[in-house]
This record gives sequence, structure tokens and C-alpha cells, in this order.
Amino acid sequence: MATIATAHQGAPHFTMGTYEDGLKMIGAKSEVRFSESEINWPMIKYYCALVEDANPSYWDGDFARERWGSIIAPPGMLQVWMSRIQWKPGGITPAASLADSIPLPGDTLINVSTEAEFLRPMRIGDQLNVVDEIAAISPEKTTRLGTGHFVTTVATYRNQRGEVVARNTNQLFRFTKNQPSSDGAAGKEA
Amino acid sequence: MRPSYPGMLQREWEDVTEGEEVPRITSDVTLKRVIMDAAATWDYFPGHHNVEYANQQGQKTIYINTMFFQGFIDRVITDWAGPETWIVRRKMTMQRSIYAGDTMFGEGKVTRRWVDDDGRHLVDIDIAIGNDDGVACPANATVELPSAGAR
Repeated sequence: MATIATAHQGAPHFTMGTYEDGLKMIGAKSEVRFSESEINWPMIKYYCALVEDANPSYWDGDFARERWGSIIAPPGMLQVWMSRIQWKPGGITPAASLADSIPLPGDTLINVSTEAEFLRPMRIGDQLNVVDEIAAISPEKTTRLGTGHFVTTVATYRNQRGEVVARNTNQLFRFTKNQPSSDGAAGKEA
Repeated sequence: MRPSYPGMLQREWEDVTEGEEVPRITSDVTLKRVIMDAAATWDYFPGHHNVEYANQQGQKTIYINTMFFQGFIDRVITDWAGPETWIVRRKMTMQRSIYAGDTMFGEGKVTRRWVDDDGRHLVDIDIAIGNDDGVACPANATVELPSAGAR
């Protein structure tokens, strides 16, 4: 969907290169990145209010302790804990994702699919970290959007005890938009 | 099925049959809710809060993000199965956007009931999330349910 990126404040910056350049990055890992804040109940409630999820695992301490040992974070929040804060004293590090840093010809991307596996509950007070790894880059493919490469990355999420809590396998399409036809409205934004 | 929490039942593995429908839930995606999505998930990619940017992308207005879809998929599962359900795995594919002003739905179907090598009682479910234009995000998940036999 929906995460087509073009030059714009808040939009990602891509490293350009050939497919052969890109293939050299398979197996490359990101540095360990730590969540801005520990897993906490206010953010859990805010997210559950968004989803309108009444599950007492997220709302009722007694129920959650009985079933899970503590209030837990909804699995849908996995990536939320790694979102960057928009401002802090001393400045924030620019958002550079591993997938954006792969040298490839495509100058934009669209997310294709995400598969998450959950191994352990994420509990209030846990401090998560993540390491991303480039798992695969497809040969050149042409879709209705354009021509480019499918990139598969695996993110491994651990808690402060080093236990793996989840793995997230993401596939995206790094591509160059199809040239618009001479009367095509699609070219106007370029 | 057994009582789990006031007003909520927990489905046990033995209650589930392959081919069973997971009932549809719906939700109004108001403009406020899309803004709340950006805030709740700390995701300020401009397509989720800036109408002009969304228009430049060829989108009709701002749209919900992946993390909202994921939470809604999981809610389809746990509203049906109960609050003691563990999501083991969930795969989603983004096909189209869901926009401010849409009514979103989610529904599913049980495809498999099985026990893995670790003795976990599992159910596979196909799920569809969409709007009035049809399915926007097909998904599938494996969930672990309590077993009546293990009680």
C-alpha cells in the first residue's frame, strides 16, 4: 500500500546502485536499535482506544496477571515501540532503515507484506531492541507500478534479558515508477 | 466455550471446526481516527496526516497505517476466540488503502485445526480487512487456544 515515498519532509532517502551492488548486502545486519521508551500502559491504552480493542489482557491488571503474569502489549504494537520520537533535546537521529540503505536502482518503495511471529509476551517495563537483516533481493521484476526488486528483511526483536520476543519478516518493492503516457496524469507529480 | 471475563467467552480448541466463519466486525474510520493512528503509533509518515501529500501520491485522502491494520486483524481474531488467545503468527499483504471517511470491516474463516510438535493447540485463520470497495488487506494467522483436554 500506501507508503510510496517521494522527496518530502519525513519521507525516506534511498541509496542508489545496481542489482549487483544490492546483492552484496545480503546477510548485512543493522546496528542494534533500542526503543525510545519501555513498554508502558498509557501507550497500550492509547493504541487499544484506536483499535477499539476491549481485550482485558490490555486493560485489566487482575485478569492480565492471572492469564499472562502482567499487562501485555497487543501484538499489533510490535513496531510501535521502535517508532522514533519527533523531537528530543540534543536532536534525533535521522530515520535510516536498512532497506532504504541497500544500493538499488529504484527511487521509491511500496510495502508488500509483513509476517510476524510472536515468541513471548511483551510486558510493561520491557525495553525492546531490534536488529534488521537483509535476507533476500529478487531479480528485476515489472509490476503495474514500475520496475524494480523485491527486498526481504527480517527484524529480530529482543527484550532487555536478551530473549527473542518476535521476528518480523517484511517484503517491499524498491522500484522506479513506470514512465507516464504522454497524456497520463500520473506524471504530474514527478 | 467457557466464561473468561465478564461479558466475554473463551473459545477452546475443541470448540472450533475447520471451515467455521469468524464473524465480521466493522468500524468507522473517521478523520480523527486516522490522526489518532499517527499519534498512537508515533508514525508521522506524511500520507497518514497530510492530505496534500496523500493526494500527491495518488491517494484520495489520508489513510491508515500498517500498525492499525495489524491491530484490527488481531481484534477480529480475539473478539471471536476470546481474551486468552495467543497470536502465534500473522501475515498480512497490503493491496489497497483504507481512507478517512471509510467504514472498515474485518472477517475470517478457520482453515485448519492442528497440534504442533510442541503440543500446542493451534488454529489457522484466513482474514480479510476491507472497506466498501472490497478487500484491502488479506491476512492469515496461526493462533493458540486453550484446550479443554488439558484443563
